[in-house]
Amino acid sequence: MSILKDLFHYDGNGWWRIPKTEEAKANPKLEHPFGKFLGMSKDFLIFITSGKGHASPAYYWAIAIILGLITIVEVWWFDVEGLRYLLVPAMLFFSLVKFILVVAFFMHLRFDNKLYSNIFVTCMIIGVFIFSLFLVLSAFHGLGN
Amino acid sequence: MSNQGVTVHHGEEINNSTGVSNKKLLMWAFLGSDVMFFGTFIGTFMAYRNKSLNGPYPEDTLDIPITSVSTFVLLMSSLGVVLAVHYLKESKMGLAKFWLILVIIMGMIFMGFQVYEFTHFAHIGMTPQANLFGSTFFTLTSLHGAHVSLGILWLIFLLYNEYKGNLTSENAIDLELAGLYWHFVDIVWIIIFALLYLITAGDGVPPGGLPWTAGH
Repeated sequence: MSILKDLFHYDGNGWWRIPKTEEAKANPKLEHPFGKFLGMSKDFLIFITSGKGHASPAYYWAIAIILGLITIVEVWWFDVEGLRYLLVPAMLFFSLVKFILVVAFFMHLRFDNKLYSNIFVTCMIIGVFIFSLFLVLSAFHGLGN
Repeated sequence: MSNQGVTVHHGEEINNSTGVSNKKLLMWAFLGSDVMFFGTFIGTFMAYRNKSLNGPYPEDTLDIPITSVSTFVLLMSSLGVVLAVHYLKESKMGLAKFWLILVIIMGMIFMGFQVYEFTHFAHIGMTPQANLFGSTFFTLTSLHGAHVSLGILWLIFLLYNEYKGNLTSENAIDLELAGLYWHFVDIVWIIIFALLYLITAGDGVPPGGLPWTAGH
């Protein structure tokens, strides 16, 4: 709940509330084995998701670097034999994160009118339903055999 | 239907009844329909995954290092588009042109990789007629390639307009719409790269399938 609150500013009433005051900023805890690193990472994530510095080139570069790093991790994961058993869930997770980053920040859905998000998410749900239907049909009716 | 007025703000027509730009709304509706369109093809590919009884199989054909490079190029082109829109809105025309040209070049590089990949596949015998994997793979990646090609043409058209002085900060929405389309093409590739390449690349001969060697 705390992570949700910090990253998405979820206060029980909506996901899209961006803090407008200094007091609303998160106060990262530093009592953990990684010292300041986790706190700084959390600060950075909050900076990205809250839209501070939004619509500045540095902001877009930061998103692009994250996307590039995730792609490098994906390819590395693919090459490691010992991690093959987790390949499918890992790739689905990484592609989902990249998908959300591009849609939310490059396509501005995070900051744009909710109507656009509603249209796109509704179509996504239908798209995923169609996708799942094919897989279920394939599994139970031997599609392609 | 009483309130049909339209307010124009920085070239962006805001419909007074919906409170949003009509052009942008239409683009999001189109992208939503395209999500469902690609959903069917990706679903079909996954349903037929590992069902080919004759080669070539994914492990014989897919080249992950090469596709990783083209994926990286397409990802970075998304950064280019968003920067081009940003600089156009700030009336920094030189930078806007620079990034727009770079995006067009990166799009062409991506298509170059796809042409190379398709040619290589054809040489080793993987064609749309070869097996189920070939049919579903080529259908999906070709459709995506067609989207990228259309996006390149759209961006070239906008670049031409920018040189003619017809694309300014006042109508930056036109480049923003092309940018939305380009980002969409990018996110579709993110899914394709994960499902068609990284997850499928290890698939070999399925139970009951015939072994395959190159040239046969």
